[in-house]
Formats: sequence, structure tokens, C-alpha cells
Amino acid sequence: MSRPVATVHAVALVGLDPRPVRVEAVCTQGLPTTRLIGLPDSAVREAADRVRTGAVRSGASWPKDKLVVNLAPADLPKVGTGFDLAIACAVLAASGQIPDEALDGLWAVGEVGLDGTVRAVPGVLPAAAGARQHGARTLLVPDAAGPEAALVEGLRVVPVSDLAEVVAVLLEQAPARRSVAVPPVETIVVDDLRDVRGQAVARRAVELAAAGGHHLLLAGPPGCGKTMLARRLHGLLPELEVDQALEVAAVHSLAGERRPDEPLSLTPPMREPHHTVSAAGLIGGGTGIPRPGELALANHGVLLLDELLETPRWVLDALRQPLERGEVVITRSRATVRYPASVLLVAATNPCPCGHLGSPTRSCTCRPDRIERYRARLSGPLLDRLDVQVELRPVDRDRLVGPADGEDTATVAARVRNARARAADRWGPGRLTRDVPSEPVRATVVAPALRALASAIDHLGLSARGFDRCLRVARTVADLDDSEVVRTEHVDEAVAYRLPDVVAVP
Amino acid sequence: MSASLEDPLARLAGPTVDPRRLAGVLAWLVDPARSIAGLRRAVPTTDGGGMEAVAAGIDAVVRPPEAHIAPVIAALVEVWLGLGVRVATIGDSAYPDRLRAGWPHLDAPPLLAWRGQPPTTGPTVAIVGARRATGYGTGVAAWLASAVADAGARVLSGGAVGIDAAAHLAALEAPGGTTVVLGCGHAVRYPRPHAGPGGLFERILDHGGSLISEQLPHAPASPYNVRARNRIVAALADVVVVVEGGARSGALVTATEAAERGTTVLAVPGDVRAPGSVAPHRLLADGAGPCTSPADLLEVLGAPPAVDGPRRPDELDPDAQDGPSGVTVLPRDVHAELAAAWPRPVPIDELADRTGRAAPALLGALTRARVAGETADDASGVRLRRAPR
Repeated sequence: MSRPVATVHAVALVGLDPRPVRVEAVCTQGLPTTRLIGLPDSAVREAADRVRTGAVRSGASWPKDKLVVNLAPADLPKVGTGFDLAIACAVLAASGQIPDEALDGLWAVGEVGLDGTVRAVPGVLPAAAGARQHGARTLLVPDAAGPEAALVEGLRVVPVSDLAEVVAVLLEQAPARRSVAVPPVETIVVDDLRDVRGQAVARRAVELAAAGGHHLLLAGPPGCGKTMLARRLHGLLPELEVDQALEVAAVHSLAGERRPDEPLSLTPPMREPHHTVSAAGLIGGGTGIPRPGELALANHGVLLLDELLETPRWVLDALRQPLERGEVVITRSRATVRYPASVLLVAATNPCPCGHLGSPTRSCTCRPDRIERYRARLSGPLLDRLDVQVELRPVDRDRLVGPADGEDTATVAARVRNARARAADRWGPGRLTRDVPSEPVRATVVAPALRALASAIDHLGLSARGFDRCLRVARTVADLDDSEVVRTEHVDEAVAYRLPDVVAVP
Repeated sequence: MSASLEDPLARLAGPTVDPRRLAGVLAWLVDPARSIAGLRRAVPTTDGGGMEAVAAGIDAVVRPPEAHIAPVIAALVEVWLGLGVRVATIGDSAYPDRLRAGWPHLDAPPLLAWRGQPPTTGPTVAIVGARRATGYGTGVAAWLASAVADAGARVLSGGAVGIDAAAHLAALEAPGGTTVVLGCGHAVRYPRPHAGPGGLFERILDHGGSLISEQLPHAPASPYNVRARNRIVAALADVVVVVEGGARSGALVTATEAAERGTTVLAVPGDVRAPGSVAPHRLLADGAGPCTSPADLLEVLGAPPAVDGPRRPDELDPDAQDGPSGVTVLPRDVHAELAAAWPRPVPIDELADRTGRAAPALLGALTRARVAGETADDASGVRLRRAPR
């Protein structure tokens, strides 16, 4: 008589998308072999050897019959070592070492070592969220990943350190421990806006970018404070909502960029990839199922691209669609993956290849045609998406040693919060003015302001494409001004943040 | 000439130009073994001869396109027609007289292609200088250009970034208008920031200016071509003023060409320590006249000096800081700061510091002033467009 099929659930992550996987095990008569089927990759195929050795070392026995383990649905590719724990549970039940009832509503994620230890795997947080979504009651996770999985509410998260503990817990010989989430940490502002001397226009640009989520271009010679301003912009962003923070943590968990015992951070992420970053590094990619790139890791936060024009054009072009849609869609042979990528892009660039153009103290050594070519790379579709553009000049030395002369982060952040609240009231919770279609924005602009903008675009030789982008920035200016309608003075200020298309080389 | 070529050539050339001669010149130029310079050498010297003599000289040298060349020319003509280009050869009446006056010793181009207005023969001022210009240079160039164009003279320059662009921009909307002499063919997008959609060249054409080139449509902006175009700038101008330039600046080429033609050359004095002052100061040392205000240029043209030079700061009336019309859209203190720095631009951050105004209000005011045409953007800040009074 053969035993019934034992079933435990696990989670396969296709990008961030958790798909339930039924791990079925059955012992049948035949030679004592182990067959693992259901489109496993090599890491999953090796699970049989890991689990077998681990189980025996933990004092359990391995079936002496023919053992078949199936990962269903069989057409979904399974990648990585996270299925080990579910396979172990299913085999133990199939061989009658734990009762079938113990498997009811049981999900498991974790890697098993040769000594039976249960080890952490990346992506426990999205896996836990997926398990709960698909009706899990209990989730077995590696010890270390317990706090991370416990961030998902409505799920019994049981941390296990090795297979012996798994057996004991499922036989109810030992009490199941319960993981609890570490409480979220508050944001600590390290980089205060007060440290920025002078730069009145750039400070204001940073405030606008934070309030409306507008992508920002900072152009200026080295040492004029581009990176410094970008960090201050990060400090101006309001704390994340818990669901946003979970989304951020999920991507970081998947990318292995997050310690599992870290508390949930409400600070928006900030990513500063080096300018030699590849398209795959920025957008995401890799063999099999594409991994998240810098864009996805900066979701709900700031992506700072320093030395923008040193990054190859085709890498920059890859940014365009994700910036427009707020998500990255990557298609590879095995899967199409979506990652959320609602980022605030801060692009910093030198005015010329050597960087010293326009500097009062250093002289530029670039040939004029090289400067033209360098700047021409910035034109076009990407430049169009950078709503707020400012040219920075180096601050003179007297200013640097003098007293701080501007507002601090707390003051400006309060205005930003207020403006964001206004925008959210109008567009819906969590929506930024950057992402709102042009029609509703236009509806809040008074007619003289529209006429003023049309005339400004016409007179100043700005591209017509910039019209709606200017209006969005003007909308944010009005929000910061506590005004429900966009008036002419708001539009006037917004126009000043577009660098003229005809740029003279000084 | 094949019948298929006749109609497009006639459309390209316009009523005053002989399409057969044009076809012959084009056939010469597309031949890889021949060149513009070669055509000039091949045509017998016709010193003292008029337009007919030059035309006859060309007709004697060029031949109608052979069957295998006709499609090449047809393709060229299509490109030109697609860009809205008109063409004249040196023997035609549409070709500017003062350019032909240099034939053949001073290398007048056998063929001239233009977009927008045809090359005019009215009073013309060439304002030339470095691409790598300072705020002082672009400010002075813009001042000179707007003043002479307001007085009805045409501004002529090379269409490069820096001084050229500042001069073209300042003369854009004035009665005199502006003309660009390109260093490349019309189908080449150079310089990129100017030749793109919505760029300077498009705006010049929109405002009734013209773009001129002696090259076939796809000729690149090679250093040779770019330098060669300077002789056309020199030939078309009544007076050449060099604003800024380094020791090897193309502006010196223009000045030399102009001097050979007997055209007046002026130079704008600059900061003695600035690298961009080398070319104008060398010209001054060589006997060029100093140009310290638009009046110097208008005097050469023979027009009454309609524009005053800037007053000295001590002459400025502290209560009358407004623009020429008596009204400024700028706050008084902002206007006063810009007037004090004029024609140099002032960085906006510095303006905010000096006036103590907050960035939002200041930026809004500057936008209004830009739209009203009071101020112009410069790479290093904002400056007044007109001389303050």
C-alpha cells in the first residue's frame, strides 16, 4: 500500500511577483531513488542531495522506496535554494515521519544545509506576503529571516533553526516559536539643508523637486555641491507609508541588499550608482529571472545619477520608459518581470568634459566642439523629462567659512509635507504631481497664467513639449504657496527652471 | 540636360538663375576629381569684366551633366528642395555683387545656397568672435548686434556658439535682421544645439533671417570648410568687428580677409589678462580701430549714430534706473544691479544675494523680464538686453 501524496507550499518569485508552488512528495515502490521534477534549475535539483543529507544528519530517516518530488505548476521555472525546506517537510510527511495534518496550511521557505541547518534566502519578505495572499496560515522560515517575514501581518511566522526543530514543531513535541517584527525606525536626518551656503536657486529647486516629485537636473562644475544638494533632497522627502516601506523592503530583500533582521525602514531609499553602471545594472536583468536594478531599488526614493553625461547614451535612453511609467518591465527568455520604480531622478552633470567651464578659478581645457557634443548628449527626450533644471556655480570661499545662511531641513520639509498633502487631496492618496496627466493640472490653472506660459514658451525659444512640464512644476509652486489655483506668478517661477534650449558656451 | 532634371533645377534656382549653368556647376562639383577651388582656377580671369563675363567664363568650362551624373545631381537637388534651399551661381543676378567682386583672386564661391531671405546687399555688419566667449564678450556682442540691427543694418556672423550666437540672437527681432554663413552644407546639423528643431537657426528663419552656405548639402563642418566660410563673412560685410578670440581664432581669418578686401575692421578691447582678448588686441596693434559702442559701427556704415554709448556710471541718475521706455517690469533694485554690471551678465544666485530677495519671487520677476524682452539669458547669468540709461 502506498502512502498518499504529501503537499507543502512554497513560493517562487518571478521578480517581485510571488507565485504559489505546491511541493508534492510521494513514496512508491521501486528502486530507492529520488526524482525531482517540475522545471527545477540546477540549484533546485541539488536540493535533493542537501535535504537528504541534512535530514539524515538531523536524525530523520530517508525513505528506502522510490521517492518522487514534484514542484507544481510544472511549467513555472523554479530558481534558487528556497524550496529546500518545503521539499524536506513534504518528504518527511510522505515517509510518515510527521502526520499529514501538520501540513495543513503550511508554507515553508528556506535553504537546508548538509548538517540540517535551515539557512536564510533572499526575498523572504515578498515570499511571506505572497504566502499570506494565497491563504497560508503558518510559514516556516529560517531563524534569521523571522523578523523580516513577520513584517507581513495576518500570518503565523515560525522561525526554525534546523530540520530537527522542524520535525519537533510539526510533531508538536516542542513549542513553535513565533517571530515578531522589529518596530519601524524613524528617519534620522543627517544631511541638513542648513549646511548648504548660498545657492538660493538650487535650494528652491530641491524643495520643488521634493514637493512634486519632479526629476531634477543639476549642472555645474565639480565642487559646487551637486551631490550635497541631492543628499539634502533625500532628507526633505517625507517618511514612507508602511505599505510603501514594505514594497521597498521586498525589493531590497530580493536583491539581497537587506539584512533580514533589519527593522523596517521608513526612510525613502537613495541610490547612487556609479556612472559606469550598465543598462542591466540600472534597469535590472541577469539570466533566468531578471533581478531588480538600481531603478527598482530606488523605488519611492531618490536615484542620483552623477556625471550623467559620462554614462553611455543607450544606458540613459533605457531610463525613459521606466521614468514615464513608474515601473520597470524586463522581458527575458524565462519570464517577464515588473518591478515598481517610482523614483525621483536627480541627474548631476558637469558643464563640460573637464568640468571647469564657467569656473571663476579654474580654466576649462575643452575644445568648444567637444563641449557642444557633450551638451548635445543631454538634449532630447531625457532632458525633457527633467522638469526642474538648474545651473550651479561654485560658492566663493568667504561664503563657505561664513555662518549658515539658509533655512534648515526641518523648516523646508514641513512645507514639502504640506504641499504633498495638498497634492494628495487633489489627485488621490500618494500621487505626486509629477505623475498626474496634463488635463487635470491644466484645470487648476487660471486663464491668464496659461496665456503667460504660452507667451513665455514662444518668446524664450523653449520647446512646446515643455508646456505641460512647466505647468506641473507651476502646480507644485502653487502647492508650496498654499494656493488652490495656479496663478501667473507661479508659472513665471516654473519657467525659470528650464534651461534654454539654445545654450551659449561661456 | 535630361528633361527629368530640368524642372527640379528650375524650382531650386528661381527665375533669375540659369538652370543650365547651375546644372553644369553642380556636375563639376559632384565630380570627385574636382572641387570649388578647382572651378575657380579653371575659369579664365575676367578682371574688370561684369556679371556676363563671369557667366561666360563658367559656361566655357562646365559641361552639362553626363547621364551617369544626372541622378546624383537629381538627388542633391531633392535634398536642397526638401530643406527649402534656393541656389544661385556666380554668374547670376541673384548672387550678391560684393561677393563676386572678389572673383577670382579672393575666392568667391561659384555657387551660393541659402535658406530664408536671399542674401541682401544692404548695409551689413559682421560681428565675429570666439566660441568660448565670456559673459563680457557675449554681452558686448549682443549690445552691438541689437543696436545695429535696430538701426536697420543686417548682422552677419558664422552661426557658431558663443559670440556668433549672441549676435544672431540679439538681432533676431530687430528690423535689420540677421544672416548666418554656415561652414557646412544645409543638410548637416552643425552646430548641434543651433541646428536642431527649435534651435537658433529655426528661430532665425522664423524671424526672416537667412542661412547661407557655399557647400553641397552634405558637406561636413570640417575645419577647412569652417575656416573657408570666414572669407564669405568678410566679403559680405561693410564692416567687421571682432569681439573676442584666442591667438588662433577664426575671427582673425575673417579680419584678415576683410582687410585684404579693404573692408574696415574694428576690434572690441577686452580684459588684458583674458585669453579671449588676444585676437582683438593683436588687431588693435595691427591698426584696426577700436569699437567701444555701436556708434563706431554705424559711423563706418555712414548712418547717423542713432544709438548712444553707455553712460559712465557716475553719469547714471540714481532715480532713473528704468529702461529706455521709462518702464521696467523688474523690481528697481534688481534692475539697478543688472544695470551696474551691464553688459556683463549677473549670476542669479548673486542677484539674490545682493538684493536680498527670495529665489521664488526673483525667478518669477526675471521670467517676466525675459518675456518682455528686457533681459537675456547668458550661460553665466542674466543681463539687460539694452544699454541702461
